Amino acid sequence: MTRYLFTRTLHAIFVLWGAFTLSFILLQVMPGDAVLVKFQDPELGLNPQQIADMRATYGADESAITQYIHVLGRTLHGNLGYSIETGLPVGHMLQAAYPTTLRLAIISFAGAIILSITFCTLALLLSEHVTGRYIASFISAIPGITSGIPVFWLEIVAIQLVSFHWKLIPVVGLSGWSAVFLPGLALAIPISAPLAQVFMTTAKRVQQLPFIDVLRARGLSPFRILCSHIIPNAFPPTLTVSGLVFGEILAGAVVTETVFGLDGLGQLAQQAVASQDVAVLQAIILISVAGFISIGLLSEFIQPLLDPRIGRNGQQRKY
Amino acid sequence: MPHHFTPLKLVAALPVILLGLASLWPSLLCAQNPLTGFPAEYLSPPSINHWFGTDQFGRDVLARVVYGSFSTLSSAILAVGISLLWAIPAGLLAGLGSVHVERAILACADIVLSIPEIFLSLSIITLIGPGAAHVALAVGASQAAGFVRMIHTEVARIRASEYIESAAGMGATFSQIILRHVLPNSLNPALALASLRLGTAILAISTICFLGYGPPPPSPEWGLMITEGRDYLSTAWWITTFPGLAIIFAAWTTNLVSHAIRRPL
Amino acid sequence: MYFQRHIFSAKLSIPLMLVWSTFCVSPALFCATPAHAEISVHHGGTLLYLEKQAHKSLYPPAGGFYPNGGILAQITDRLTWQNTQTLAIEPWLATSWQINADSTIYTFELRSGITFSDGTPVDAASIALNFDTYGKGSKALHLPPSEVINNYDHSEVVGPLTVRFYFSKPSPGFLQGTSVIGSGIVSPRTLHMPLEQWGEGHNIIGSGPFVVQDEVPGKSTTLQARHDYNWGPGELAPQGPAKLEQIRILVVPEDSIRIGAFLSGQADFIREVEAYDENQITRSGNLLYAPSTRGVNDSIVFRPDNDKVADVRVRLALLRATDRQEILHTLFSPRYPLARSILAGNTQGFQDHSSELYYSPTEAKYLLDKAGWLLASDGWRYKNGKILSLGIHVSAPHPQSRSMLVLLAQQWRKIGVKLNILTGSPAMVVLDDLDPQTTPLYQAEVGRADPDVLKSAYYPTNRNVLLQKGGQSQHVQHFTDPECNQLLLAVASETDPLRRLRYVADIQSLILKNSYSIPIFEEPQVYAGSTHVHDMRFEAVGRPVFYRAWLDTP
Repeated sequence: MTRYLFTRTLHAIFVLWGAFTLSFILLQVMPGDAVLVKFQDPELGLNPQQIADMRATYGADESAITQYIHVLGRTLHGNLGYSIETGLPVGHMLQAAYPTTLRLAIISFAGAIILSITFCTLALLLSEHVTGRYIASFISAIPGITSGIPVFWLEIVAIQLVSFHWKLIPVVGLSGWSAVFLPGLALAIPISAPLAQVFMTTAKRVQQLPFIDVLRARGLSPFRILCSHIIPNAFPPTLTVSGLVFGEILAGAVVTETVFGLDGLGQLAQQAVASQDVAVLQAIILISVAGFISIGLLSEFIQPLLDPRIGRNGQQRKY
Repeated sequence: MPHHFTPLKLVAALPVILLGLASLWPSLLCAQNPLTGFPAEYLSPPSINHWFGTDQFGRDVLARVVYGSFSTLSSAILAVGISLLWAIPAGLLAGLGSVHVERAILACADIVLSIPEIFLSLSIITLIGPGAAHVALAVGASQAAGFVRMIHTEVARIRASEYIESAAGMGATFSQIILRHVLPNSLNPALALASLRLGTAILAISTICFLGYGPPPPSPEWGLMITEGRDYLSTAWWITTFPGLAIIFAAWTTNLVSHAIRRPL
Repeated sequence: MYFQRHIFSAKLSIPLMLVWSTFCVSPALFCATPAHAEISVHHGGTLLYLEKQAHKSLYPPAGGFYPNGGILAQITDRLTWQNTQTLAIEPWLATSWQINADSTIYTFELRSGITFSDGTPVDAASIALNFDTYGKGSKALHLPPSEVINNYDHSEVVGPLTVRFYFSKPSPGFLQGTSVIGSGIVSPRTLHMPLEQWGEGHNIIGSGPFVVQDEVPGKSTTLQARHDYNWGPGELAPQGPAKLEQIRILVVPEDSIRIGAFLSGQADFIREVEAYDENQITRSGNLLYAPSTRGVNDSIVFRPDNDKVADVRVRLALLRATDRQEILHTLFSPRYPLARSILAGNTQGFQDHSSELYYSPTEAKYLLDKAGWLLASDGWRYKNGKILSLGIHVSAPHPQSRSMLVLLAQQWRKIGVKLNILTGSPAMVVLDDLDPQTTPLYQAEVGRADPDVLKSAYYPTNRNVLLQKGGQSQHVQHFTDPECNQLLLAVASETDPLRRLRYVADIQSLILKNSYSIPIFEEPQVYAGSTHVHDMRFEAVGRPVFYRAWLDTP
């Protein structure tokens, strides 16, 4: 187990380094550097010589390899550099931005889990009835549709209806959890779709296992079987898609934070792309890769703890 | 299970037919021009003449939605095609090459997979500039790593299976084995995944276009239409609502197709 | 409070209203809020202001960018104030000034008792350091020189409250230049910071009625009133601290959200109301403000370095093919006056050229035929196998730029010219706009009330909207117009006011004769304020001044 942990950690570090290098290469070959972009703004009216001087003072003229070594060394010391666009230390910007994204992720993830479990419970319970079966098959088709809802569109419509038309919750001037409530709920709808699909598949498989028939024969109510046997057994495999969900939440955060004007990591990334602010973008990529890797590791370690059928050695027992 | 055409299946095929018609023969579904409008008729609500209403330039929204399906679908297909173009050789090489090659390719795929797709595609777009084909390229390139892993798994499975061993035992050459056994057998799951990814690609493309990196106006692109229409949402809901529904419809239809492909397997 | 409630009880209100109105001499109180004249001035409260873009740098010479200027106008003072009605230069931090005959030496007498928000005094030495920095820039600190100060040489501290500036050549625009937001006065300590640190508002120590109290970069800025402020400009009398306690500026880039939030009562004041939303604002009973930004009109300018638009006939044809009335009618409102020259009508030196700016597609077709661009069967025009297609970037700061270009493309399509509307990240836009091959067209507008603005817009080492050789672009091959540049320099250094205005007229004629520019409309800045916001003012180029404003809800 220790050896396994060691190789996993080594692999994680390797992937982190690789992502760092890849993003450096991608961002280095961009047509203009941020220094150029910032100072070529006609509003400042600088001449070419002045711009060249500015670039030299920022070190934008050094060779790519020198810059790479410099940036890598700096990052290893925990210094993420300065944003050229705002002049702030990138570390501070991330520190200011991450709570919003974290809150958004928590609300949308929790919302998505609640939504998907509700959906599946409804579908499974209804499918027990003869007439409910049609409604059940209709309900189980819904995740296929919600997975196709563009987040940005849903959110625009939600703002218009919920905030401006019904005046239920304001969208400007909020802070903390209240600021991410509506965006989080809107984001939860498309994110619940893959969760519901995986959950539904495993739940159906569990439903057909012999021990469920035994329970049924004992006269347990369908609701009881569902709550205390099917859901606990079907839920852990759902965690395998948590990496996918993490990616979707991040992608959703870029759009959501742009649409709602939230000051999170996604918005920061969008702006960094727009202004080619390499240091910021690279730091965000690094952080999200770290998040992705640790979630992967975490779900790998947690799954055996949640699932009684998976042995400690990581091997899944056969049904 | 034998395949019979039942009325239910025909109903299920309707969305596919509708989407196909819209993108290949748009003039059949609407007579209006998607690019030029009548400024005098701007912002008129849905009516008999304009089923989906008109936008701020007096252009017919139905026409723009219908013509937009070609732009979106072709970009999505191009994106998935580009993914496959990268992923098939890499996946085959990983599945059939030496341990070192396999490790190297999978490590690269892991690295690319670890970067959230949206950041990857936005970075690529900044690199190569906006435009319909460029968006497809960016989305395709950032989705490729997932395909590599999948194809590798399939190839490794087939390679380890008994009939390959027996074919090798019977004296078949390496290239014969690849062409006759490995490639055809691993292609089917890849195609099923490809059609599933089509829906994801449609969403990714419309998101990038919504963020303003897609084809320039006045192209009838769904994501772009939503960006352009959202300023009018409080007074003219139809400009944004219909393109959004079109995206949902297209993504759902590609899901149906992928289910249909996967079922016989 | 008890007393007031009695005054405005129903019985007493009518006779007392008459007395009240005879004593009240502030015209703005009547203009802006006639129906609420009975409400007494309320002190305190927080005004929530929704801004379209985040501020980038609070280095005053970067104040031309609306969000920067919107904050700088509240936290800094200037030497002089430009009257918003007469455009005359009035005292502010400077009580008086002398200018020598050839406008090379300026001497300012400063008001005493003024302090920066950190307590240090505003004296001759600090003012001298401000203009040394703005006049020449600072390479070591990355601070660029200001575009409004020409021919600056050096400063001299004559006495504790007397400062003198010397210029290498005549600089007649300097006095007006001291009144613009770009010449906001900051403390010497602030001036020792490198440009990168000017993004953080609390670093900027000014002497204005507000100070930056708190900010989230790119998101929000909170301004706090200075209670000891007592040196506002004369036009904004009476003296005293600002009435608002706080201004909370939130960045809400999306138009629909800004409008929606404002209409549903979530904000007090917003910037950039597009023409299509004006009706919603007025119908809901709220107030619209549309101060003009003056200066160079919102125009489409050509980059003649690109061969396709090097021929004056092609440029004139495109002017003729542009139905400016249709653009204004379809997309804009009466608050956007049709441009009558390259300068706005209320700018010094404006000359009416409306008769040369008419719409005539027939003439356009004739000119293009003569220039050798012939109509092909596909509906586009070609010359030597090359299609007449021209690229232009959507210009985010300008109202409805994208829609305007889409409509322009529809109009030009009718005469067979293809307008390619380009989009991309702001970084790409900056780079593309420096290459005349990619962008033979450019959307330009510069706000400033002095005719020096022409040099800011057109001179190669300034904004260089035509992309002449000698500017910062490395892509320009040959295009340069010496006659135009000479006139621009002359405007910036001519001391005789009448002769200076004649040069301004000459430049307008020259640019329109060569069809370098298609002026479209005079750009206002449209704001909306709720009925609770009173006594809102704007400085000469349409930046909001919250100094006198007050809220009637506690």
